[in-house]
Amino acid sequence: MHTEQDRLEEARHNKAPWKKWGPYLSERQWGTVREDYSEGGNAWDYFSHDQARSRAYRWGEDGLAGISDDQQRLCFALALWNGTDPILKERLFGLTNSESNHGEDVKEYYFYLDSTPTHSYMKYLYKYPQAAYPYANLVETSRRRGRTEFEYELLDTGVFDENRYFDVFVEYAKESPEDLLIQISVHNRGPDAAELHVLPTLWFRNDWSWQGNPDRPLLEAVRRSGPGAKPQAAIVKAVHPKLGEYHLACEDEPPLLFTENETNMQRIFGVANRTPYVKDGINHYVVHGDQSAVNPENKGTKVAAHYRLRVEPGECQTIRLRLSKTQAAKPFADFDELLEGRHKQADEFYDTVIPRALSADQGNVMRQALAGMLWSKQFYHYDVDKWLEERGCDPFKANRKQAPRNDHWHHMYNGDVISMPDKWEYPWYAAWDLAFHVIALTLVDADFGKQQLKLMLRERYMHPNGQIPAYEWNFGDVNPPVHAWSTIFTYRLDKAQKGEGDTEWLKGNFQKLLLNFTWWVNRKDRNGRNIFEGGFLGLDNIGVFDRSAPLPTGGYLEQADGTAWMALFSQNMLEIAAELALTDPDYLDMALKFVEHFFWIASSMTHMAGDVGMWDDEDGFFYDVLRLPNGQAQRLKVRSMVGLLPLCAATTFEGALVARYPEIRERLKTFLDARPEIRAAIHDPAKPGVNGRRLASILDETKLRRVLAKMLDENEFLSEFGIRSLSRFHADHPYVFHAGGQDYRVAYLPAESDTGMFGGNSNWRGPIWMPVNALIIRALLQYYSYYGNDFTVECPTGSGQKMNLYQVAEEIARRLANIFLKDKDGRRPVYGGAQKFQEDPHWRDLILFYEYFHGDNGAGLGANHQTGWTGVVARSMHLFATMKPEVALEEGKKAYFETVADQQAGTAPAVPVLAGAGK
Amino acid sequence: MFAVRKLSLYIDRVNQQWVVQDPDGNFWTVPSDNNAWDQRQPFYPTEETELEPIPAHYKYTLGLPY
Repeated sequence: MHTEQDRLEEARHNKAPWKKWGPYLSERQWGTVREDYSEGGNAWDYFSHDQARSRAYRWGEDGLAGISDDQQRLCFALALWNGTDPILKERLFGLTNSESNHGEDVKEYYFYLDSTPTHSYMKYLYKYPQAAYPYANLVETSRRRGRTEFEYELLDTGVFDENRYFDVFVEYAKESPEDLLIQISVHNRGPDAAELHVLPTLWFRNDWSWQGNPDRPLLEAVRRSGPGAKPQAAIVKAVHPKLGEYHLACEDEPPLLFTENETNMQRIFGVANRTPYVKDGINHYVVHGDQSAVNPENKGTKVAAHYRLRVEPGECQTIRLRLSKTQAAKPFADFDELLEGRHKQADEFYDTVIPRALSADQGNVMRQALAGMLWSKQFYHYDVDKWLEERGCDPFKANRKQAPRNDHWHHMYNGDVISMPDKWEYPWYAAWDLAFHVIALTLVDADFGKQQLKLMLRERYMHPNGQIPAYEWNFGDVNPPVHAWSTIFTYRLDKAQKGEGDTEWLKGNFQKLLLNFTWWVNRKDRNGRNIFEGGFLGLDNIGVFDRSAPLPTGGYLEQADGTAWMALFSQNMLEIAAELALTDPDYLDMALKFVEHFFWIASSMTHMAGDVGMWDDEDGFFYDVLRLPNGQAQRLKVRSMVGLLPLCAATTFEGALVARYPEIRERLKTFLDARPEIRAAIHDPAKPGVNGRRLASILDETKLRRVLAKMLDENEFLSEFGIRSLSRFHADHPYVFHAGGQDYRVAYLPAESDTGMFGGNSNWRGPIWMPVNALIIRALLQYYSYYGNDFTVECPTGSGQKMNLYQVAEEIARRLANIFLKDKDGRRPVYGGAQKFQEDPHWRDLILFYEYFHGDNGAGLGANHQTGWTGVVARSMHLFATMKPEVALEEGKKAYFETVADQQAGTAPAVPVLAGAGK
Repeated sequence: MFAVRKLSLYIDRVNQQWVVQDPDGNFWTVPSDNNAWDQRQPFYPTEETELEPIPAHYKYTLGLPY
């Protein structure tokens, strides 16, 4: 029998398409930029949730607990009806950006419980109320609430009172790459028997209406014959001209309801339909009893099997289906055995991933984090040139209209499975998020991580000018350049696991990253002084002004974060070039180029030849510098993550390149001897550390100690749950800037944003964000491997407790993990005051990975399924459960990668995971 | 230089009908049908006519020739 590792291996070598089917269906296609054809670009209002059941999508599909093939031609998902809702529950409901007091927010309870990297086993849970879903109440109450109030959640409506809801588990298991077993288990958690309509639905993405395609796919009922065929199952045959033929077997012969995945023109546009069978036909049949809404000829492009269950209190009923390339005579004969077998293999796989040193609760958190990462894959389809043309904005036509966005990205054709930040709130890729996703995803699937990084650099994504696309709302926004870091991390991990590095992959990425580096240098360094701008740079409201808009003072900002990101980018490019130069001398000059470029950038942060620089010696911190039109300059003294990022630009070097090419030592010496001001401005790159390592760092030891003193001060950045994005100092000392008769103010705000800046749905003025914490941990480990055990600091500042920098990193990681783990009272900080999540046995071990966390109490905030970059917590948990500081000190950065390889090869023991999660 | 041939698609909600503006600027009503273009009728918008733009990809559902 195959193991999951075998399947990964076969997929890698294209021997079997184990990743062809997966959870690639989005959870929200409505309200996206792709589906928006409005004049003004108001995507949320143009294509609403209310329209979604009736209007065919142009670019993708969505559904509940769904799957599709990797080109999303054929989709499968769940629909439910409790007999009281006004519509079928075919997709998750949530509030749009303007409807909620803190921006868009999904108002449902669903959980990604498990997944293997090939999706050979997956498990999902949806909690469906038995009473009518309070659509209007959620909208109206949320609209009335102000920005300083809490969000109005589904639990607050009382619809889950007395546990009157169903737990609906959906499990998938692959017998073979194109043979999928599907089990739906319905538990009635309420005190009374209740009826539930369960409608497993199969449909084709509409790829025929929009292109005049005569090759239309078809779903039709199949009459079975032969022994054992009846009464076991109803069968649907699915034929797609490109995908081929599939069969869906539905146990117990439920009625099949057929319609077309085509727009209900009458409802949406007020004109007659060409066919009575339209996208919402099944909804009309089930909810309104409209017999004419489904095709009696049993064919179409959308079909649902109609199961009606009456579930007693505490009872569980199951439904079994099988979607396969070939039609089995007895599709359910071996079903239970196969499903259980795949589940067991998933456990065995995670036994090799989750370190034994972790507790059962930690193992549960880590496994659900990885399940969330894997469930967040989505087929993303967007042909920007076509999209522009369809809205009358064809970039090559003279009489074109201006598009509301993405006008300059007409080269883009996206049609790939991509790791999403959150398949409901952010069902579109975000380039810098993706680099962090890879750090976590490579715990289970290095191939997928490599493919994702390369994808963003392909000519169908990267702009011809070298810019990496940010996200569909504006591909031209500027996000931090973290791809090179993710690339070298992934390369080293892959190299340790496979025994040799994939240098071809590394070279390919390096060439493209070089374009991106050059784009930054030529576009974001205004005066050619190695000082960078970039605007908001992913940190939304962190500045006193909107950093992406023209400043109210005029002039411009020299950004500490922008410059620090570029220093780190230089270091990462140097690491890549140095690795490649070990076997290919052509890369030696590139390595030297990035050494020098790092020196220029790093020194520019502090050495300004008497001018105002970013380093404030009085405060011991880095700040953005405001340069006014009259030539004056001043630091904007907001103590924020902006000023901590220079600390993150730190990388150690083992000396392998110098050992291979001794002559470069002299070249570097000549360079530095001629520029003593550089050597004085940054950490001395020639000074050896532990084991002769060299350190590239903006901060010398003095500056490092001063910044760490603030970062590790619980009255400033260090919270019980990680490093805050803004110092708590500003709670009592708001930063106020006067300009144009107006006060601009930044105060510590540990929870949600109180302004509408950047959509108002995220907040960098106090909360804890996982990705930047991950970078801080990375940097501390770099400093540790250079300075060693003798470099200690007080942690927390003022506590009298001394720690070396490994211990500091571990302490931060411990605090971050504690967001999700049960405390001594059995409560998970992530759930704050949500009693149901804290106390109910059917809720308390289900973990949601939020977008960011309350700066004081760790409660989850923002998008609640952003396993995306928050999933990085799985990597930090893994790292400190497997690494030993003495090994890190002895072997440097390769220590961790080799530990991972040993563990996954089975030479390291494993930990049993919490068996009860999600049962 | 060849001429740009561009079509615009609208809905006239009041009269519940599709309206097409051909590349020459002429307006036509067409039925919801596969060969809608063959059944087109001239249409003359007035100042009171409210035409709602519809994404161009819907032209294929009406079998329009542009």
